[in-house]
Amino acid sequence: MADSIIKRYYDGLAEGKLLATHCDFCDAYTFPPTTACEHCGNPDVEWVELSGKGTLLFASHGAAPPPNARFVDIAPYTYGHIVLAEGPVVQGIITGVKAEPEELQALFERGPVPVEPDILTLMGLKVLAWKLV
Amino acid sequence: MRGKLKEGASIVGVGCTRFGDLLETPEIKGLSMQELAAMAAQEAMEDANISPQELDAVFVGHAMVHSTQLPGTYSQLSKWIGAQFKAGVHFEAQCSTTNVGAAMAAMAIASGVYEKVLVVGLEATRTRVKDMSPYERVPISTEEAWAWTDYAVNQAYSVPQGYEIFSVYNGLVALGYCRKYGIAIEDYDRAMFELCRTRRLHGAMNPKAILQETLEDEAARLGFSDPWEFWKSRFNPFVAWPCRIRNVVTVADGASAMVLVRKDAARYHSEAPVDLLGFGIAYSDLPWYDKDPSLWPIDRLAWQRAYQMSGVSPRELDYLHTHDCSNIVGMCNAELSGYIPEGKWTQYARDGRLRYDGDRPMSTHGGRHAFGHAWAASAGADTYEAVLQMRGEAGRRQIRPWPETCAIHTHGYAMISTVLILRRC
Ligand SMILES: [Zn+2]
Repeated sequence: MADSIIKRYYDGLAEGKLLATHCDFCDAYTFPPTTACEHCGNPDVEWVELSGKGTLLFASHGAAPPPNARFVDIAPYTYGHIVLAEGPVVQGIITGVKAEPEELQALFERGPVPVEPDILTLMGLKVLAWKLV
Repeated sequence: MRGKLKEGASIVGVGCTRFGDLLETPEIKGLSMQELAAMAAQEAMEDANISPQELDAVFVGHAMVHSTQLPGTYSQLSKWIGAQFKAGVHFEAQCSTTNVGAAMAAMAIASGVYEKVLVVGLEATRTRVKDMSPYERVPISTEEAWAWTDYAVNQAYSVPQGYEIFSVYNGLVALGYCRKYGIAIEDYDRAMFELCRTRRLHGAMNPKAILQETLEDEAARLGFSDPWEFWKSRFNPFVAWPCRIRNVVTVADGASAMVLVRKDAARYHSEAPVDLLGFGIAYSDLPWYDKDPSLWPIDRLAWQRAYQMSGVSPRELDYLHTHDCSNIVGMCNAELSGYIPEGKWTQYARDGRLRYDGDRPMSTHGGRHAFGHAWAASAGADTYEAVLQMRGEAGRRQIRPWPETCAIHTHGYAMISTVLILRRC
């Protein structure tokens, strides 16, 4: 059986690890990982583990019921725009913040806040969510 | 990349169905997808004074095969539009499909291979085939429509990890814009109200729009004397705070078409041909933006490439449509295009300058919210409107003086940024 990058990423999440690839050519990360550096196309990249330190820049929310049945039980949920310490920008579910205007407005007015991974298990899949530190 | 067309191409015919619901909207109720597509194609060919057998090639696109159940669409349509034995292809660039088709047609013409190309786009986002019936259809639920549409979005990571269009394509972009320009959320909401009023006014003047009721009339119908109070009411909830449901797409079934020919043959087909001066295309996958959600690298590139190929500068534009499946993304693009100044769209919307009778008219067909959005057919509907405006055929919503140079921007989910620059000959 050949190695699947996607499978390895999700297996990493199950161990609490955020796996990325790093490109020596342009010194940038691809997260989540693919078969090439997403910045320059270089296929010769190395696996690395990210620190998990991030900053939440903005947070909004989605709909209920959601289009993807995996998320029926937690919808509507807060969804955020995050920059990681190593540079990649990621988007994901934010736990612990209600998907309501008052709470989201307070968060917006507070400005960027630190976040860390809060890995969920939904319908048997590991989902990389984030929580305020 | 040379980024130039070796020979000019012109749009000499356009067609578009009413956008609506194949189960409800009178002009299209009861039609099959074959008949809907043929309706748009035949309007475009009649407009171009061309018979189907004169065509060299037919490019047919649609995105969501789940609702049409018509893959290989060009061959399935060949006996419906009368163009069998021609060259053809089924292609998709999601919601940029028809305008990417126009760019492909222009390249085919400029290369010298084809001289006359028909581009057709069709989509059903409200209804789908019932079981395997040849003509019966049933409604699609909102979640089902988005689940199918989201097959075009990062299936390795984003979708299984909770991606959802309304936050990523609306709420986060709005917050990025407000923070960048120091705009209070209440002021943003008011500007969005004004923008919606403009778009609904345009839709009310367009017999092909899905929503032909002004926002004011809708408010009154639901018991509100003040449309602003209606805007803030439970009838207009946040789909992704701070964005409300009336600032996003209205899904539709529909079809559009256009005929392109060599520029030097255009007058033979049309008294008012429109040159496709240039186009820009750029694509990427999620995340679509870096730290600033209101600035998208693919849009910057698409605009640059279109301006470069066409030799047109932003100040020459008389009319603009930007992809407004999300109104805030559309307005970020209006600013990026140079049509309105950076950080100013909220003021322009509040001052009515984006109306058909304003000095910076935009999306006079009603945009994705009022005209409706039939994924692959919509870019062609945007081009259809620009062509009508340039010919002075836009009826009550006609821009005066008639625009000469127009730009059409679309986003093909997810994500293909496309810009066409058009000019009346
Ligand atoms: Zn690289």
